[in-house]
Amino acid sequence: MAVAWIGNRETLVERAAAHAAALLGSSRCPVFSLDTDIHGTRAAIALAERVGAAYDHVDGAALSRETALFTDKGAMTVAPGETRRRADVVVIVGELPKIHHEFVGELAETVPDLSAKNQREIFLVGSSGVSAPPLNKGRKATLLSCGEASLGATLAALRAQCRGRQTSQPVSNFDDFAKALEAAHFPVFLFSGDATEGLALEMLQGLITDLNRTSRASGLHLPASENGWGSALASTWMTGFPLRTGFARGFPEFDPWRYDVARMIAAGEADLHLRISSSIVQPQKKQKKKSRMTMIALAKTQEPVAGAAVTIAIGEAGVDHEAVVYSSRTGSLRSVDARAASELPSAATIIRLVASHVSAKAALPC
Amino acid sequence: MLTKIAGGDIIDPVNGRLGKSDLWIRDDKIVAAPAGGAADRTIDAAGCIVMAGAIDIHSHIGGGNVNTARLLLPEQHAAHQARPATTPLSNAGWSTFQTGCLYAKMGFTTVVEPAMSPGAALHTHLELADIPIIDKATLAILGNDDFLLSMIRDDASSQMIEDYVAWTVASTRALGVKVINAGAAAAFKENVRTFSLDDVVPSYGVSSRKIVKTLQAAVDSLGVPHPLHVHCNNLGSPGSADTAAATIAAAEGLPLHLAHLQFYGYGTEGKRKFSSAAARLAELVNATPEVTIDIGQVMFGQTVTVSSDVMRQFSARGSAHPKKSVIHDGDGNGGGIVPYSYGKDFYGTMQWAIGLELFLLIDDPWRVFFTTDHPNGAPFTAYPALFELLMSREARTEMMAGLSSSAMALSTLAAIDREYTFEEIAIMTRAAPAKLLGLTDRGHLGAGAIADIAVYRRDGSIAKMLGQAAYVFKDGDLVVQDGEITHYRWGKALRLSPSPDKAMVRRLEDYHQQRYGLSLDWFNFPDSAIAREQPFGEVACRM
Ligand SMILES: [Zn+2]
Repeated sequence: MAVAWIGNRETLVERAAAHAAALLGSSRCPVFSLDTDIHGTRAAIALAERVGAAYDHVDGAALSRETALFTDKGAMTVAPGETRRRADVVVIVGELPKIHHEFVGELAETVPDLSAKNQREIFLVGSSGVSAPPLNKGRKATLLSCGEASLGATLAALRAQCRGRQTSQPVSNFDDFAKALEAAHFPVFLFSGDATEGLALEMLQGLITDLNRTSRASGLHLPASENGWGSALASTWMTGFPLRTGFARGFPEFDPWRYDVARMIAAGEADLHLRISSSIVQPQKKQKKKSRMTMIALAKTQEPVAGAAVTIAIGEAGVDHEAVVYSSRTGSLRSVDARAASELPSAATIIRLVASHVSAKAALPC
Repeated sequence: MLTKIAGGDIIDPVNGRLGKSDLWIRDDKIVAAPAGGAADRTIDAAGCIVMAGAIDIHSHIGGGNVNTARLLLPEQHAAHQARPATTPLSNAGWSTFQTGCLYAKMGFTTVVEPAMSPGAALHTHLELADIPIIDKATLAILGNDDFLLSMIRDDASSQMIEDYVAWTVASTRALGVKVINAGAAAAFKENVRTFSLDDVVPSYGVSSRKIVKTLQAAVDSLGVPHPLHVHCNNLGSPGSADTAAATIAAAEGLPLHLAHLQFYGYGTEGKRKFSSAAARLAELVNATPEVTIDIGQVMFGQTVTVSSDVMRQFSARGSAHPKKSVIHDGDGNGGGIVPYSYGKDFYGTMQWAIGLELFLLIDDPWRVFFTTDHPNGAPFTAYPALFELLMSREARTEMMAGLSSSAMALSTLAAIDREYTFEEIAIMTRAAPAKLLGLTDRGHLGAGAIADIAVYRRDGSIAKMLGQAAYVFKDGDLVVQDGEITHYRWGKALRLSPSPDKAMVRRLEDYHQQRYGLSLDWFNFPDSAIAREQPFGEVACRM
């Protein structure tokens, strides 16, 4: 089975890696977009430093809203295990990514064993059309909405009403919510940056802060992407900063606007795009302006990625090879075995191979 | 390879070696002077002092809470300018890479991360594995976890509790056990806002004292070399000296280590009801030989407090500077991140003076440990300035001149003449930490010890001398020369390996399935997950 291509021509992995390194070496503004495990991220950041690249998650916008909550405001958060064991009121904030629906279902099916209440009420905040993850036995979450108002505006109204203030449009089912809070020992709000604007995330934290004046409450962060959040953690310990960090000047600079890789590509600032994602890469969208951008694709693929100057096949973390990944189910990093071990190399292995062909003064940290 | 460090002043209190002499290294070990041996490499140490590599027993260098602090404060650790890249990521801000390089430059070769949440053990070890040059170790946090509190409530046998502690230490690859405001994080989840030594966690009916005593006994009985590491209740509160005094009394003959005692050195005298109780605590420590302490010295300037004492951090949120914080209710302790700036006002001066009083009034350098509780009292990069304050009364007097005089009036510091000697520094930062942690292979310069060696060129400025080592060897590799990193390598995380009891593992498997809906596999990890050649070094338990 072929595993590496230069253009559409099959080649040896070693040769493809050397060619990728040469392209990186001559790039004026290389950018990386990542969707990979912890060791893939570590290797990518080490390579980014060598070649002066900026890096971001493949869905940088959602992750950036989540990291901005921490870099700009801070938060009150709770572990998923404590949520399962203690939350007697669960509030789903907006639409949660599909990857978290199973856990929400599990919360609906279980009761908190560390709470005197031994039952769990479930609410859903959002505009009237918001859809909740499916709960068991036709159970429905009680909707807290202000008609068509946005999630942020609904949260603002909810916060105001919790403080006993009047709002122009009252939140539906507010009395049920107030009653539930009154009896609750540990309400938990489930949130994600996936479909939630930054201001809504801040408003939610304001509400949680208010509740903590006299009783307890917290928020469970369910990241838009587990790989994305894992990469953010690894980037933060390696460089001091989350994703959207760049090494253009030889040292890491964090700038969520400037190093938004999708923006850099769209604006024609980037001249080389290294895309690291085990999932199949979609062919590049047609650029409006004629793009002279070169793409290097590391993907789980049996054929060259359309438009890529270099394609190298990699395995999927936790399927083809063992890996360390972020788990939103434990709220920390987790070691996973290979479910169907294969010969396909990990992203980290291939990135290190590419890096070994890039000349550098310093040793590689990863 | 045979190396001779020639003509330096050796300071090795453990082996009674003091004075001008040569020190020999073969490969990664210190050896006796070989008969007629010719060195492959000679290091000229004339005009230098030669000590073992320093060991920091309490510095928050990695793991979930530390990383959250980095995430919260991108503005605090912006890299300043590009410097020649002698090491990868050498221009990063407050990162794992910088941590290893900055410690090594000061001659530190082993650092303990004292607050590893068991559920975040893999994350913690991955961060530590990215800290270059030095060896690391961790203390696993227990004492707010439901499993332990339930066992204590249900009068579980001491054997069963020991089995649980042993399993935790083994599975998290820890070197010891820490308890942080025992019971308070659990009580905080039930909306309790203050918690003292004899207060009880509501749902369990178990007191903080009972948790501390239970863990102290288990750690001792298991032969864990490092005594139970205790972060007491009421950290930072006026009157917390009473809590510290009660905790010292609770040692009752068994070893106990109290972390960052400075943060409990507060009385309630004066018109602000905030005064120094350092003299009282120092006297208690002096009179209680089974107790060891570290200081948690405050130095002035911006820092960030990072603590698994979630109740305390929650109550400190109002003083955040800049105004943002993270409070996390974890499976056991969780934690809080609150940025803070120590000013030279009454309170800042008081805290600074109390730390120094404790350093200077506790007589035995084998029982007082050199820490700023990095980054809580100050970043570890303040160590050179702190050495200077301990070794020079003049430096202290000079510093006091610019501080709050009303605070100084309530402190005995100005009247203390003591100046630490190099021999005492070598005990406090080398010999004693190795002994406290059960590391027989380091902290001294005897034949057979690993070649972790710091060579400092004598200088009028102690801060300069101890801040930029002339030479540092780690496991025999020359890693620092003239205060700069010259060689990049990877250290290990030192761990104990008690064998876990099979019945306890089954019990924990059931517990995790029932309570979390997850098998224990979700929390375990193989050494290969760290992706380094030899990520761990094994340390023996006491027989
Ligand atoms: Zn500490």
